[in-house]
Amino acid sequence: MSEPARLTGDATYFEDFEVGSRVRHARAATIGEVEGAILAKLVMNTAQAHWNEHYLSGSPLGSGRVVFGLLTASVTIGLASQDTAENALGELGLDNLRFRAPVHHGDSISAYSEVLAVGPADRDDAGVVTFRHWGVNQDAIVVFEGERSVLIKRRSHWGIR
Amino acid sequence: MSDFDPSAFALARRGHLYEDFEVGLRFEHHWGRTVTAGDNSLFTTATCHWSPMYLNAEFARAHDHPDVVVNPMLVLCTVVGLSVEDLSEAGGPFLGLEQCRFHRSVYPGDTLTATSEVVAKRPSQSRPGMGTVTWRTEGRNQHGDVVVDYTRTNLVAMRAGRT
Repeated sequence: MSEPARLTGDATYFEDFEVGSRVRHARAATIGEVEGAILAKLVMNTAQAHWNEHYLSGSPLGSGRVVFGLLTASVTIGLASQDTAENALGELGLDNLRFRAPVHHGDSISAYSEVLAVGPADRDDAGVVTFRHWGVNQDAIVVFEGERSVLIKRRSHWGIR
Repeated sequence: MSDFDPSAFALARRGHLYEDFEVGLRFEHHWGRTVTAGDNSLFTTATCHWSPMYLNAEFARAHDHPDVVVNPMLVLCTVVGLSVEDLSEAGGPFLGLEQCRFHRSVYPGDTLTATSEVVAKRPSQSRPGMGTVTWRTEGRNQHGDVVVDYTRTNLVAMRAGRT
């Protein structure tokens, strides 16, 4: 195949991330049957509140299906991925994930990110970037927030020569 | 014409309640799950995570992987999913997840299993009839290697508060 660096963007190497920089990602996504109910069942989540439309009727969580929180987190991170991890070698971890408000089918999630920390890795060709991400619904209510550390290529080693 | 009476059937309840959890209690969760290439492509595209490391096998091989890498968020969601019946299905909302580490890559065809231990519990101050329970969970591949671990906290219903 062609050089891997030609398949990914040139603005997301380790050297490009500065602590405090903030971005609102370009695309938002509506959570529907596929992102909510089907993925909850795909990942073996047996809690029927995620895929039984009538289970929660009359409860404080609201009627309809409530989306599995980690799927909201996954969509938020997915929407952020091109700007944060297109040149990643791997995901290292997550911390302080919080689910601030319920998400239902039909809600649309947009993603926001801030660089919390940058630092060396245990290899010379990459560094570690820690982000805080926010997932926000169509009414500007924060539904998810959390921190994520990613191992990201250094341009000095991986960029197009 | 039907004389069907649903009240004549006992509910096959699933899951555990607050009183069932004691600090130190361990669970080996049911089923396991072989993650397929299809699972990875569906999950990764549906969550708008179009990274070539997860969707372009030639790109992944150029980074010394044998195949596409399974999206770590799919690995995490699957390990949590396998634990839901034992830990949180009968309970209440997911409150938070801490100290999650991805220890090694998962590839299509790998099989995930999950185990958990109760690390804390306390009655809720603000929600009578509920408590919070915290578990440490490990997800392993078919070789027994830990691929992901994390600490999760949920609100869990008490048996005492149940109608």
